[in-house]
Amino acid sequence: MRPAIDRRSLQHFDWVLLGLVTAVVGIGLANLYSAASPGTESGMPSEFRRQLLALGVGVGGLLVALVLDYRRLERMAVPVYVATLLLVASTLVFAPITRGNRSWLIYGPLSLQPAELAKVGLILAMARYFHHNPPSEIRRVRDLWMPALIAAGPVGLIVLQRDMGVAVLTLLIATTYLLFVRIPTRAWVAMGAAGVLAFAGLWRFVFKDYQRERLLDFVDPSRDPLASGYQAIQSRIAVGSGGLLGQGYLEGPQTQLQFLPTQHSDFAFSVLAEEWGFLGSLVLLGLYFTILIWGLVVANNSKDKFGAMLAVGVVGMLFWPAAINVAMVLGLAPVIGVPLPLVSYGGSQMLANLIALGLLMNVSMRRYIF
Amino acid sequence: MNNHLTGSELPIDGRLRLAGVLITFVLMGFVVRLFQLQILEGDDLRRRSEQNSVRQIRLEAPRGEVLDREGRVLASTRPAYRLEVVPNDLQRRAPTFAALGRLLAREPADLDGRVGPTRGRGRFRPVVLMDDLDFEVLARVETHRFAMPGVRTHVEPRRHYLGGSSAAHLLGTIGQIRADQLERPAFEGYRSGDVIGQGGLEARFESHLRGREGGRNVLVDASGREVGDPLLEVPAVPGGRVVLSLDIDLQQEAEAAFEDVPELLAPAMGAVVALDVRTGDVLAMLSRPTFDPNDFAGGIDSATWKQLTSDDWDPLQNRAIQNHFPPGSTHKALVAAALLSEKVIGPTSTVFCPGFYRFGGRSYRCWKRSGHGRVNLQDALKRSCDVFFYTYGEKLGIDRLARYVKAFGVGQPPQLGLGSEAPGLVPSSEWKRRRFGKPWYPGETISASIGQGFNLITPMQLAIAYAAIANGGSVLQPRVVLRLESQDGITVKTFASKTVGKVPVSAAHLAQVRRGLRAVVEETGGTGSRARVPGIAVAGKTGTAQVVRIERYEGLAEAEIPIRYRDHAWFAAFAPAEDPEIAVAVFVEHGMHGSSAAAPIAGRLLRRYFEKQGRVAELAVAPPSSLPAAPLVRSDSAPPASPPAGPAATATPPGPLGRGTQP
Repeated sequence: MRPAIDRRSLQHFDWVLLGLVTAVVGIGLANLYSAASPGTESGMPSEFRRQLLALGVGVGGLLVALVLDYRRLERMAVPVYVATLLLVASTLVFAPITRGNRSWLIYGPLSLQPAELAKVGLILAMARYFHHNPPSEIRRVRDLWMPALIAAGPVGLIVLQRDMGVAVLTLLIATTYLLFVRIPTRAWVAMGAAGVLAFAGLWRFVFKDYQRERLLDFVDPSRDPLASGYQAIQSRIAVGSGGLLGQGYLEGPQTQLQFLPTQHSDFAFSVLAEEWGFLGSLVLLGLYFTILIWGLVVANNSKDKFGAMLAVGVVGMLFWPAAINVAMVLGLAPVIGVPLPLVSYGGSQMLANLIALGLLMNVSMRRYIF
Repeated sequence: MNNHLTGSELPIDGRLRLAGVLITFVLMGFVVRLFQLQILEGDDLRRRSEQNSVRQIRLEAPRGEVLDREGRVLASTRPAYRLEVVPNDLQRRAPTFAALGRLLAREPADLDGRVGPTRGRGRFRPVVLMDDLDFEVLARVETHRFAMPGVRTHVEPRRHYLGGSSAAHLLGTIGQIRADQLERPAFEGYRSGDVIGQGGLEARFESHLRGREGGRNVLVDASGREVGDPLLEVPAVPGGRVVLSLDIDLQQEAEAAFEDVPELLAPAMGAVVALDVRTGDVLAMLSRPTFDPNDFAGGIDSATWKQLTSDDWDPLQNRAIQNHFPPGSTHKALVAAALLSEKVIGPTSTVFCPGFYRFGGRSYRCWKRSGHGRVNLQDALKRSCDVFFYTYGEKLGIDRLARYVKAFGVGQPPQLGLGSEAPGLVPSSEWKRRRFGKPWYPGETISASIGQGFNLITPMQLAIAYAAIANGGSVLQPRVVLRLESQDGITVKTFASKTVGKVPVSAAHLAQVRRGLRAVVEETGGTGSRARVPGIAVAGKTGTAQVVRIERYEGLAEAEIPIRYRDHAWFAAFAPAEDPEIAVAVFVEHGMHGSSAAAPIAGRLLRRYFEKQGRVAELAVAPPSSLPAAPLVRSDSAPPASPPAGPAATATPPGPLGRGTQP
């Protein structure tokens, strides 16, 4: 058995990426402290304490994802993928129904949202598939049946959990890889038309009323105005009132008055924008941007296709939720319950994203190894 | 750092470059939008933020009503007004507090001190200055509020228990959700500060009683007042109703009867349970000492809480189900059923009671030192002769006895869903080996056969056991709730009456026990004559459970024994004796005599039950001639000390304690 990590890899450890991630996580924690403090009588907000705990677990996950050579991880891609699917499937059996869906496994004080981990399994499986079937050689839609099947696993299970937002998000992460296939435009058009027709058929003949309601609510949250319309207004006010330099840490009236019920989770960015202003927001967006571009660079420098495809997957896994979340906070997208990676309150996303970043560091530090 | 990403050496694969460009576009879009919101519209939005223009107000759902079996309201919801100050909104501090001081008749400096400084992150949090304003104060504050920015009144639905402390232990309490509860899946969707059922029925039916909260978006001006019509309103949905099996009339009668116990017993402590022997319906259930659940409704103040929790007699404890006690002679009915069923005694079995029983070189005393003479089962029950039960209980043996007592439901909690229940205790040789690692001694069987020693029972279990004797052997699951209704009275769930076991005693043998119990109340010389109801034959059994065996209290007059060392008084009964409908268990903690302390309470409760149906005989029945000699001294195994403030013409000679289990 070779040592899991050798000196050469350590020499090339990606300190820049680690620094970027540390900065984002640090900002997220400071922000959560402020967002959660108004509901707290005294001392440390309980959400903050739980997030610290999740961070500890996540750092462990990151190290595990980092230590084993990613080429050896490739052999484990399928088992990991299946394991995460089983974890998601188990929620259908064990999880209590909370807020209309069954997404959480709960054991005592611990809770886990397996759909987050399924994203890691998904990008591992996808990367392995495209390693052996380079996307640049895929020229026909019908060649995509296998990746479609890989994506359908977690997405289908998450639909069964009735968590539409996360299902769509997972689907988007899978579609990241479509950027690399060489399918002609007219094929896309034909496929799009077929999809619209199929959906219309389902809508008209298959869906039940409550399912239509659910989809309509997802597309147009103002159907439920007390919740989402209100949130959109308050989020806009919070962001705007930040101005150039912000209202000051722990001083934002919107935040401290708890105008936004989910300010510590889905609306974390609005808290930051209110308290740190335009400049603070730019810093966080800049950090995200740098991490994403850095990921593309890692993909580019990777010595093999698996590493490259894995890095692309990690970039997709961070990009989609971050973009949707920020768009929502800024009033550019409807209100969807998607957390901001590494910043929003939530242990499962923290764990999954740190594992993914561990994989990215793994690829990065072994770029010179043959 | 960013320059080498756009550099030409980077994306060899054009698609990676494309991805980079797309990400850059998204970022630029966000930056433009941020610039628009924060720089261009920033001042305007900041002003709106300062005006708090749109505020979402939670509309709390009124908690569902709790009704008795005849639809009378026990718990409901009323509006409660509270006066709050938001420090951040205070504009003219000194004049505001001066005015408030006048309106509330309080010291302005004191009010100012409670609100604290207008600084820090607490400055937006409203400070409650006065809770539950009466209408006069509310009207005064409301008329002057325009001149006092930062002062506001807040109305919320508040739980109201119409009967005060009546049935308090059954109804339970409400209180703020605790941190550990918030983490549980059962409380998904609850928020810190929410008020939930924390005990009794309030906790058991929390999800049904709670209802669904609504919300309202309103425009508020700089002083926090709502201006204009609400922008949007989703009304709260009130919680559903819970219909109890309880009968308020009986409950109140039991509560009143408990207040009237002889002054010697003050403070009156104990429990009463009344069951319908056909359905298991809990018709009355009380525990004393008690508390007022209204004290909890608006958040209990620390003084009251401290008083309740530091009270030695623990008023929050529901003695009817949460405490178990030695059953004393009420146990004899269960022992009698076992003796008959196991053929240890037959219809003609008798014992000569000389006032003591010798076994293993020891002498076990009957409570009546002069002895009962020759007694059969009926006499033994009627006069509570210990020697009869010593003699045959020893022959029966502890393990056979334990099997029967367990079959009557003792030894396991009946699961009413009202918080932790005491299980009671049925000793057996195996139990003793497990518990103490020691063998069972035959002498202990002798104590157990009159309900002393290790035996423990809850008042609820005693009522269940006597209901089983009354109804022909069915051990019933007590039914506290008949049905759940929606807020407009549509039944959403009914609870069926349930039999959980059958005692292995034939109908004929149970009838024989019932005849003996009837004699206890109805025949001359019985110990339970104080439970009589004119026109209705009552069957029952007194009990006196020894609390301590301390020699130094033996010679004392009752009033001189410290309360916590006095015996417990029991009375268990059912009526009508020939075709029973209702069973009652009365427990008076440290009440000394079953016959004088407990039996009259049962009698009043039974009388009220039959009165409601017009079945109590109209003519005032003259007390039977035997009565003058009866009540206080007839208490079965009670110490015949000087009777309290009564005629000293008693038949039994005062003397040393005639305690059954004394060696």
